[in-house]
Amino acid sequence: MNISRICAIFEKDLKDFMRNTSLLFMPLLPIILAILYSRMGESEEMPIMMSYLVVGTVFTAVSTGCLMIMMAEEKEKKTLRGLIQSPASFIDIIIGKSLVTTLLTVISLFISLLLLGIEPFLNVKAIIALFFTFIFFLLLGIGIGLFVKTVAMTTAYMMPILFLFGFTPFVDFLNLDKGSIVLKIAYAFPIPQLIRLDETGSWRHVGVVALWMLGAALFAYICFIRTRKDD
Amino acid sequence: MFSKGSFHPNNSTVDWKKGTIHAVLAVRSAFLRYARVRKFRGGSRLENIIQVENLQKQFANETAIEALSFTVKRGEIFGLLGPSGAGKTTMIKIMTGELAKTAGDVQVLGMQPAAFQTARFKSQIGILSDNSALYERLTVYDNLKLFCKLYGAPISAISESLQFVNLQGEQDKRVSKLSKGMKQRVLLAKALIHKPALVFLDEPTSALDPGNTEHIHNGLKQLNAAGTTIFLNTHNMAEATALCDRVAFLHEGRLQEIGEPQALRYKYSNHAFHIRTFDGKKLVLDNVPENAAEIAQLITDNKVKEMHTDNPTLGDIFLKVTGKELVS
Repeated sequence: MNISRICAIFEKDLKDFMRNTSLLFMPLLPIILAILYSRMGESEEMPIMMSYLVVGTVFTAVSTGCLMIMMAEEKEKKTLRGLIQSPASFIDIIIGKSLVTTLLTVISLFISLLLLGIEPFLNVKAIIALFFTFIFFLLLGIGIGLFVKTVAMTTAYMMPILFLFGFTPFVDFLNLDKGSIVLKIAYAFPIPQLIRLDETGSWRHVGVVALWMLGAALFAYICFIRTRKDD
Repeated sequence: MFSKGSFHPNNSTVDWKKGTIHAVLAVRSAFLRYARVRKFRGGSRLENIIQVENLQKQFANETAIEALSFTVKRGEIFGLLGPSGAGKTTMIKIMTGELAKTAGDVQVLGMQPAAFQTARFKSQIGILSDNSALYERLTVYDNLKLFCKLYGAPISAISESLQFVNLQGEQDKRVSKLSKGMKQRVLLAKALIHKPALVFLDEPTSALDPGNTEHIHNGLKQLNAAGTTIFLNTHNMAEATALCDRVAFLHEGRLQEIGEPQALRYKYSNHAFHIRTFDGKKLVLDNVPENAAEIAQLITDNKVKEMHTDNPTLGDIFLKVTGKELVS
């Protein structure tokens, strides 16, 4: 890992991001959602599920969405080849490319949680689980960005990711049987695990999120190796 | 067996610690000396910077490269000539680790393809290929600054490389606003910004006007004179003649001929004198002793308007060797 190479990629990405109008407004989406949720039923206490829906939106739209588009653009325009051919390593490129998204996620998440009430997230277990979830979404964005051939193709992946990983808590509104297999699978996804963690406080849910993170890391690495070669 | 006392006469703990530190430092400096020697031997002093033996590359059912063998010597400009689709770009991609070979052996800077992903290998090479690209939303300066930092080159290298490609004063322009030729020159500046030991150039002047082509050619000659080995892919025979110390003809994935341009031109010359007289006659006389008297008589009679030997161009030789035009 080389800090100056990571900083160089970060600096380039930041300048590129500021001139990319298609990405510039994505971090605003969860903030707008948080404003709307916080205005709904002002007298009642905000259900924790709503807060985690906003968290899911931040992670899917900003962490995964922005990074996925940025990576896909690098790949489509062949600029990624220049980074791969340079002395920057896989880790340098991945960290360098993730920094802008990390910055945006932190800002977007912090503002959204301030609007919705940050108290439920101020404990060690929740912070660790949020961090693992964030890394999972980041790596998912990198993996898909490297997997697709064009930026246009990322739109086809954005919706399933948003519904599968961001809006998973909505599965409760489907009125499914408690023993339903769909429900069991949905509860194993990262955001419902965060909600369970809030309810039970068990480390088991942090472990499940960590497993998701490792799976995403493997997926991103395989996609990178595939991209490195031109076969 | 060494005891603490046998190492140091006064036997104190402080001296023992000092001794250990000295020993560790001595081992460390010996290791660093060894590493420096290895690095020196590893790439920069190799006689053959590129060594390719029986290389094969297959794509599904198509053979792109077949039993290719050649070497590129340190400090030379080596030209790989061939029409589009001959396998030139595939060759560069294999040598830079972008493509995996099917069979055979490739060594670049003394390293096997497995080592191609190391920072040490990458910092010694520069690449300009059809896969090279720039960040369109950024300025020329920002693009070059990124690669300066990635390769650990000083920022002053930006103005040097812009001067090299004749783009001084254009550094604040956004890449999206540049013409195709200007973009090609920025890509070349990017490939050379870290002063690599070996440069792979795939059709470097394909989009350039004659003036800028000449400027780049002069720059490449200077770069080569400073010790950089250049591997040049081109189908431009004038470029190959002007720049290359040696050329190889690649056709349908096979190496058809290899040698110095002058030697090839001599080899494929029919060794005849082409004479044009003042009365409009054209004569072709073989360079043999029997024709000496006739040639001498023409000169004596002041009849010769023009006389030259037969010098085929690299394009003519390519046609002769492969039966195909270099530029279709």
